[in-house]
Amino acid sequence: MTLTGRFVALVALGVVPIVLLGRTPGTAAAVLGLWLLTVLALGILDLSLAGSPRAIGLARNLPARVRLGESVTSDLYLSNTGTRDLRLVLRDAWQPSAGAGNNRTPLTVPRGERRLASLTLTPIRRGERRVEQVTVRSSGPLGLWARQATLLAPGRIRVLPPFNARKHLPSRITRLKELDGRTSLLVRGQGTEFDSLREYVRGDDVRSIDWRATARRGDTMVRTWRPERDRRVVIVVDSGRTSAARVDDEPRLDTAFEASLLLAALASKAGDRVDFIAYDRRTRGRVQGAQGAELLSRMVDTMAMIEPELIETDWSSVPGQVRQVTTQRALVVLITSIDAAGASSALLSMLPQLTRHHTVVVASVTDPTTLQATRERGNREEIYRAAAAERALLDVARVSAAIRQQGADVVTGAPADLPPDLADRYIALKSAGRL
Amino acid sequence: MTPAPRGATVQAAAPATVTPVSAAGPSTENAIALTPTLRATGRRVRFWVLAGAGALLVAIVATLLAGGTSAGKPPLAADSAAQPGGRALVEVLQHEGVSVTVADTLAEARTAAGRAENPTVFFFDEGGLLTADRLTAMAGLAPRTVVAGPDFLLLQTLAPEVGFGGVADKKAAPAGCSVPAAVKAGTLPPGERTLTFPAGSAGLTGCFTSATGAFSVVERVASGRTLTLVADDSLFSNDRIALAGNAALALNLLGAGDEVVWYLPTIADVERTGPPSLGELTPGWVTPTLVILVFVTLAAMIWRGRRFGPLVAENLPVTVRASETMEGRARLYARSGARLRALDALRVGAVQRLAGQVGLSRLANLDDVIQAVARVTDRPSGEVRSVLVDRVPATDAELVALSDRLQELERATSRAITPPPPGRMDS
Repeated sequence: MTLTGRFVALVALGVVPIVLLGRTPGTAAAVLGLWLLTVLALGILDLSLAGSPRAIGLARNLPARVRLGESVTSDLYLSNTGTRDLRLVLRDAWQPSAGAGNNRTPLTVPRGERRLASLTLTPIRRGERRVEQVTVRSSGPLGLWARQATLLAPGRIRVLPPFNARKHLPSRITRLKELDGRTSLLVRGQGTEFDSLREYVRGDDVRSIDWRATARRGDTMVRTWRPERDRRVVIVVDSGRTSAARVDDEPRLDTAFEASLLLAALASKAGDRVDFIAYDRRTRGRVQGAQGAELLSRMVDTMAMIEPELIETDWSSVPGQVRQVTTQRALVVLITSIDAAGASSALLSMLPQLTRHHTVVVASVTDPTTLQATRERGNREEIYRAAAAERALLDVARVSAAIRQQGADVVTGAPADLPPDLADRYIALKSAGRL
Repeated sequence: MTPAPRGATVQAAAPATVTPVSAAGPSTENAIALTPTLRATGRRVRFWVLAGAGALLVAIVATLLAGGTSAGKPPLAADSAAQPGGRALVEVLQHEGVSVTVADTLAEARTAAGRAENPTVFFFDEGGLLTADRLTAMAGLAPRTVVAGPDFLLLQTLAPEVGFGGVADKKAAPAGCSVPAAVKAGTLPPGERTLTFPAGSAGLTGCFTSATGAFSVVERVASGRTLTLVADDSLFSNDRIALAGNAALALNLLGAGDEVVWYLPTIADVERTGPPSLGELTPGWVTPTLVILVFVTLAAMIWRGRRFGPLVAENLPVTVRASETMEGRARLYARSGARLRALDALRVGAVQRLAGQVGLSRLANLDDVIQAVARVTDRPSGEVRSVLVDRVPATDAELVALSDRLQELERATSRAITPPPPGRMDS
């Protein structure tokens, strides 16, 4: 039960008769008592005439998924099963991150009818957003007092990673096609897989002339090449402790997801098979054997539910995880963070096991504020800060050098740059035939 | 699809739109209500409500039983059963057929005395509330007036010859006078307050003389009215009435007539002086208006304070900025004044950048870098070395200066390396 602002105003209105009629304290007190009794009686009457907030049937119509940053409509159907018309105010109790705001929907549902209340959700966080209950406030015909009940109406919506990096995809695909030798520019592919023979045109590399075919045909023939296809790409995202840290107000894990989505989209376009693992001490998510459009949809679906775990990543079991995915030679992309030498020792000691069989790229998000801090040296505090930043950069440089010594490749970049940088490195590796 | 910026703030969402749905679909089940019904709530809290009410009841009954009648009443009050009360004496008087009328104001006392044929006024003014005029009026109410514990103003007004006599000695004093009540009482308990008056004063009789010549009871007879001053008021109280001859004295003094007016002045006897108070000036509707404002406030509190359903819980991720380790290390350097260590970090970074600029490898010998930089910038190698290696900062000011020189050296090198921008040949 609750009461409304109208009731408060009505009580306050009692001042008027008290001032006008109450000449002596006795009459004024009598007027006061009378007014309070009247108002109370009106309130009770109003409450008894209000429709029951329990006699309501609820049904939800929710989309299953939404990309982060986009809006969806959540539909809630209310059926009045009671004997009176309902004058309601409705609150759909979504979790705050679902972006439903502080919603209060006024609604009138005549007896025996059904109404639709639509609410726009703009989630602000990846993952599963839930709603458990709907609170209904049913006021009487006078709008003085109201009955309130909280009804069970569960629902959930899965918020997928935004994949903002997809804006980089068209340009990278264009470059892939150039590699492929399929564009009108006739840029010869530099891969190592034999594609076809064609007539020599000026500008072709003379080293690619096929003399045997030239002799047979009587015309200069060149071999064309195309990059290898059907290679394996295994993306391992570190979902451990360090992935929770925020760089540019974005957790490292989210940047890792952006980078892996761009890489997966690109690699599947290039005809490679992509597998995805999110791992810290156990597998938090795995996408295996998916192709084309299904790959990306399964990846975002898996990623939506992965949150950073506040535990140290167990790097020693990562080679085993990769071996479970494929025993062939593959491109293994480890997306983690490269910090101090001490924190990266487990990664470094594991790397030789991977580099023995696979091509390994270690990708890491770097903090652009660190680089900026080295240049700001206005006063004493800033100089110490610059020194600490230099120290951090040196640590990263040392660990990167150690990783390169182990035979792996390193890609680092700010959150906005890492996904395209990783894609570029993939194209570079592909064009160099190192896959 | 335009991607929204990450970390967009929650916008206060507009209320949902409402659409009528034409057909009332198949009869739907009612949603399960999580709010307990009034009856369920009542059942749950019934024990506590009953327990609370019971405790309240017990407290009220106990208070009433434990002398709620006498609590807070003045000494010698006729209906007070407490130790300083006067109920014992009143009860006995009534039992003996003397009616006792309680008066709180002079007007009441006057009415009561006027109604009776042969009244006795018992007067005890602990707070000294009556003025001289009223005291005189009080003394004229009845043929017999008994005053317990007279104060200075009363003596001055009604018996100017009488003064205070100090405390009686420790020996029980005999009556030693012709006042019948005193003679019947025999002795009074020792150690009470006394009165005194000059010998040979007309109309005054002193009883219960102490060794110092002071009296516990003084009777003054003037123009047919008897005024009995009993120096010690505790003589009439419940706890002392039974001592020695107290009871006999009190009963004989008050029981001489058929009617006793038991007059203890109250605050209502005090004459009002000065301008009218604020309460008298305010109109009658002010207090009820304040009361209704209290109710309005209560209603508004319920209106605004009633929560629209329970809160919704959500697990939120921790927010850890990646630069926090860097900031922490910077603060450690600053607090411990690790100037050389901080400068070394800056120098190593600068040397590596310089090596890259002058075309040496990252792992190049430091001497080679210094030589190359000195050559490129056209500076003596000793100066370059002092900036890059040798100088040890003794103060923070020197640290700042050295850091500036490091930056300046880097800038100079980069200027020397970068080819000048293409300009016009003839300039």
